Order: sequence, then C-alpha cells, then structure tokens
Amino acid sequence: MCTLKRFDITCKIISNKEVCTNYFELKIKAGSIAKYCLPGQFFMIGVPGVFLRRPISVYDSKKSVLSFLYKVVGKGTGILSRMRSGQLQILGPLGKGYDLEICKDLNYVAVAGGTGIASLHFLAIKLGKNKPYKKKGTLYYGARSKKDLLCLDKFKEIGWKVVVSTEDGSKGYKGYITDILEKKVKDSDVLFACGPMPMLKKVVQIAKGKKVKGFASLEEKMACGVGNCQGCAVNINGAIKMTCKDGPVFKIEEVNL
Amino acid sequence: MVLCMKPSLAIDFMGIKLKNPVLTASGAFGYGYELADLIPLNKLGAILTKTITLEPKSGNLQPRIAEVSSGLLNSIGLQNIGAKAFIKEPLENLSKVGLPIIVSVAGSCVKEYVQTVEILSAQDTISAIELNLSCPNLKKKIVCHDLPLTQEVIKSVKKVSKVPVIVKLSPLVTDIAELSLCAQNAGANGITLANTYPAMAIDVKTFKYKLSTAKGGLSGACVKPMSVRCVYDAYQNIDIPIVGCGGIETGEDVLEFMLAGARVVSVGSASLVSPKILIKIISEIEKVLKEKNIKDIREVVGMLNTTKNAC
Repeated sequence: MCTLKRFDITCKIISNKEVCTNYFELKIKAGSIAKYCLPGQFFMIGVPGVFLRRPISVYDSKKSVLSFLYKVVGKGTGILSRMRSGQLQILGPLGKGYDLEICKDLNYVAVAGGTGIASLHFLAIKLGKNKPYKKKGTLYYGARSKKDLLCLDKFKEIGWKVVVSTEDGSKGYKGYITDILEKKVKDSDVLFACGPMPMLKKVVQIAKGKKVKGFASLEEKMACGVGNCQGCAVNINGAIKMTCKDGPVFKIEEVNL
Repeated sequence: MVLCMKPSLAIDFMGIKLKNPVLTASGAFGYGYELADLIPLNKLGAILTKTITLEPKSGNLQPRIAEVSSGLLNSIGLQNIGAKAFIKEPLENLSKVGLPIIVSVAGSCVKEYVQTVEILSAQDTISAIELNLSCPNLKKKIVCHDLPLTQEVIKSVKKVSKVPVIVKLSPLVTDIAELSLCAQNAGANGITLANTYPAMAIDVKTFKYKLSTAKGGLSGACVKPMSVRCVYDAYQNIDIPIVGCGGIETGEDVLEFMLAGARVVSVGSASLVSPKILIKIISEIEKVLKEKNIKDIREVVGMLNTTKNAC
C-alpha cells in the first residue's frame, strides 16, 4: 500500500529521547503529513553534518505527531541522537508499505529483528484501530540481548501475544527467533517481517517452504529515497526493483534474498 | 525610478531558449518526470535525464552507493530501460512538463552510441543529446581516455543527430582544456564539465570495499572546486558553451561556475538529498544578481575568465 502524497518540508522536533541504551524515539510535529503515513513507509530525514538524509521507518503517527524509533549505528544517527530540539528536513512518506487487506481472513504474525520492530509496531497499531481486523496478532521478536528488546509493553497493551528470543539467553528463548517461528507458523497465518538480512533470509525460506503468505520489509543503502539514484536495487521475482520506491515492503513469495 | 528590477535569468544554450540556467544532472533525476508532485518542474531551465543505452541495463550489484565526507560515491552501472522503452511512457510523461528535454546517452561501442542517438534524436520532444563519454563505472576503459575514440564517437553521432550534441567529459584527464578542444573540433555543440571523479572508499570495520565494484564516481560538495577549475581551463580554449557540473548546492555555487565560464549548470547530488533545492537555487541566483545589480545573467558567463593564465 502506498500514499501518493509526499512532502519535502521542515519539521520541529518535539522530543528525542533515549528509550534504552543506544535506541532513541524521535517525535516531530508533522501537521497533516501524519495522516498520510502507512505502516512500512519511511521518511528520509536530514541530519546536519552528514551529506545524505537517513531513511527511517515510521514507528507511530498520531494526529499531527510522527514518531521514529532508531538505533545509533554511525555518524548520522549519532548526530541525530544528540539533537534535543530544533528543526529537521524530512521527505516522505515514501515507499510501499504492508498490505493490510490480506489480514481480514488470516492470523497475523509479525517477525521482528532489532529496530525492525518500528514498522511492525505501526502495523500493529493500525490493525488494532481498524474494525475488519478483529484477530489479535502474534509478535515473534528476536534481539541480541534483553537490553535490545523494545516496546514489548506496547504490543501487549493492544492485545498481541509476544514471543521473544535473545542470542545470549537473557530473555525468552535462547537463540534466533526464526528457530521458533519455523515450528509455529502455519499456512493460515500471514507473515509481516522486518529486520536484519540474515533474519529476513530465513523468514523468506520458512515462508516459501510452508507456503505461508506475507510481506518482508527490506533495507538497502539509499541516497534519494524516491527512485532517482537507483542505488537501492533489489532482485524481485527476477526483475530489478528499487527498495525505496517499489518497496521497502515486498511480497515474501517474490523476494529472492 | 526603477525599483528592484527583477534580473533576467533567461539564457540561450546551443540555440535552445532556457528560462534559467539550472538543469538537472544526468543520473540524479531519473527519467525526469517522477518528482512532479514534489516540485514545480516547469520552473527549471531544462531537464536532463539519466543515461539511456540502446538495450536495457540492469546495473551493478549492491552496494551501489556510499556516503563520504561532503559527498557521495556511486557505482550504479547505468541501470536503465533502454532507448526503445524510454521513448514510450517515460518520454511521453516528461514531454508534458513543457521544458526542453536533454537525454544522456552511453554505449559500449561507436555503433551503439550512433544507434541510440538515431532513435532518440528522431523524437520531436527531445531538444539535445548529452553524450556520456566518461562514465567511470564501466569496467572497460572510459571513452574519454582514448582521444581517437572520443573523436570518432562524436563525429559519428553528429552525422546522425537531428539535435545539438553536448559531450560530458571525465575530469580525470591530463589536460581538460585540450580534451574539450578536441571535442569541439570533432563537432560537439556543447561540453559538460565535469562528470564524477573516479574514487573509492573502504569500510575499515568490515575490511570490505564500500562499493561492489570497489571503485566508483565521486560527486557532491567536495568536488565543486575541482569542477570549477575544469570549466575555467576549458573556457579559455573553446568557443562552444559549457554546462558546469559538480557539487552545486546554492545559487552562489551556480554563479561561481558561470563566472568561471559555464553558460548553464546541472545539479545532481544535492537534488538527490532534497528535490526542492533545485527551485531554491533558482531563487538564490536571482537574489545574488539583484545584490550585485546585474540585470541579465548572460553578463556573468565567463566574467572572471578574460585573460589566459599560465597554468
């Protein structure tokens, strides 16, 4: 799903708080833009001091406030994390998000790794708010350790079942979340996956093997976010597509990772 | 009394009338029409498309881009849908904008350049061709580094082209002024200076190249002084107009290129970061001209470049 309305504007920072070590939640005043955002879509956010804008998925969008959840991974996100107020240049909402229509008849299962939780959080909220989607979802969430698990309470609040794994065993199952997913997922489920490439590869393999429908949100280095630089090419069903414009969300059965 | 007269930005370029000297740069603005919802495209001087080849090209493997200090490295590999597909929907959409259209062309041999230009220049809506002779992303030697081949491509293309031909040169040559003269003598109607700079970056965390092809093309603010120098040197040696290109982010940057000798400019990396910067640049040019009390932008072209320098 995608909205055709996109904006290249300056927005005011409302807050930018560290929610746990190295993870920040940025809230900006986005006016009417907030209502055009769909789960899985992203914004290119300008950070002073680095050349390119950073693509960051929408974490939540309420009234006129847009939220982003991000991890400090390099220079750009480092500078962004130190901004407590002021203004940011943003371009978006961009890309195609998750298809919610399919959820009407299937049980929805979200699989998240790391900050991949952000777009799935927005998805869970949208599913919770819309009447046709009566079923509660299940979240499978993998992280390195307990301290890397984000917003579990928010999923529980909206009635989702939460299954957690950590690589060091500090919370939930010890190991990868895909090990549990493989045992539990059924063809009556619809999968929504967002996370690092090794996790997505495994999710795609499981989904294809068990003939489970679903969507995977991909991540590639991108310069423009609108399809012009063609930096973020990806092979989808044998054709070259742009992660930023044709994705970042693609049908799992069409993804070749 | 004349109060704040609006300076004229209109400029004639190879016989094409432009409302201002700001063009998009090849490779940074897709097929030219895709951002119509984000910026008023008809405010630009002209639209220059990404490079089109005879057959479709799927481009290079990931990663294709890497950020560096004040710039961008790319190795896209000329991904495009090919000339025949381009003249259908993309060109039709682009034509609706109502601006002069310049199409960038590349080929793997003289014949390919010629065939592509034959197809494209036959389209009524295309105002000019820009030959990409300097794409540093192809694994083979770039055309610009082979003087007889450069001349052969230009001469052969000129024989078939129904529209003016601009030649985009690589800055990585021994003498850019001599190469520009060589292009002029072969029949070029204009020169673009300059393409991206061959460069590379290595990720020391992973001990891997930052681009799949190891080397790529450097663009962005960091290359601007080098491209201004290319324009300056070439302007002294040639009579055909120059498209200044490299790291332009503001109206002042545009005037810097024009003072050195560029007749028009093309903006690339900055428009990838923010499309609306193209419109902002145009209003900034107007502002600077007003401050300097210059009524016509044509006065600026080569204004500072009137004497021959030793080096």
